[in-house]
Amino acid sequence: MDIPTLETDRLILRAPSMDDLDREILFYTGDHAKFVGGAKGPFACAQGILARIGHWHVKGFGAFHLEEKETGLCMGRVGPIEPYGWPEREIGWSLMPDATGKGYATEAALRIRDYVYDDLGWTTVISLIDPENTASARVATRLGARFEKTFEHVEFGTMYIWRHPGPGERP
Amino acid sequence: MTTLTTDRLTLRVPTLDDFDPLAAFYASDRSRFVGGPQTAELTWRTLATEVGHWHLRGYGRFAVEERSSGKLCGIIGPFYPLGFPEPELGWDLMNGFEGKGYATEAARAVRDYVYGTLGMTTLISLIAHGNTGSEAVARRLGCVEEPEVFTHERWGELRVFRHPSPGELA
Repeated sequence: MDIPTLETDRLILRAPSMDDLDREILFYTGDHAKFVGGAKGPFACAQGILARIGHWHVKGFGAFHLEEKETGLCMGRVGPIEPYGWPEREIGWSLMPDATGKGYATEAALRIRDYVYDDLGWTTVISLIDPENTASARVATRLGARFEKTFEHVEFGTMYIWRHPGPGERP
Repeated sequence: MTTLTTDRLTLRVPTLDDFDPLAAFYASDRSRFVGGPQTAELTWRTLATEVGHWHLRGYGRFAVEERSSGKLCGIIGPFYPLGFPEPELGWDLMNGFEGKGYATEAARAVRDYVYGTLGMTTLISLIAHGNTGSEAVARRLGCVEEPEVFTHERWGELRVFRHPSPGELA
């Protein structure tokens, strides 16, 4: 399949690329990635990009990389995913350490939620958030999502399910 | 995308339908020479990575099906992830499919494809210390071990086996 490209005011949402590897390594250095699997070395980062591309092809949807229009840099990834053990399809978001506090996660997730409802025809979608990840919970709140219940992933443990407004309930 | 056929095997691009046998392999001690054992969640990512490799490189490791049963019996093909010195021909047999000559049969077909269709002119296989089954396959394929080992971030120290070149096979 061809991975689509979407656009918002400040971002291009496009296919994951190996050109983003340096940014990916930056993301997984230190404790910045503590809520999404923890630190990784360069090889694992490269495999992560491959897996993200593969997710698109095996599922027909997947995460977009966020390219900042102003700089051309990858600022994070946001997108619909459903890897092993997920309770249902979710929109997940992670931003690079230098991309937080600008509203990028909200901006990208709003566009992608429209994409999954209007282009993919989904009727509901969740976001799975670590109970201690308050920054991510704030994004979910801004998106109009509501805490629904806790979920126990077989390997990752407790996560919170936040349910987004449906296609007809969007603000 | 590409499909290859041998006497007993069909080689095709992996799909999510390959998850169960692949997860069984990676849950077992048989995966100890190729980074395992690992959890089902990681194996799902491994499968997505195999597919992503196809789309990024234009080639990748094939899901090998036993024609008589339709079952997944191996993951075999050219693999060139970050940090590898050059593309590698790898072979992992799924549980219960050892001892039938499938790795050799599939690898031979893949090597012909890599040389003939992809136009590569040389090929290695990287094999962990102690993996005598895999070493025997390499020997059957005419590989010769090189003096230097290769050390990788995830798989550690690996022996390098060089395949005969296209000219030597002709």
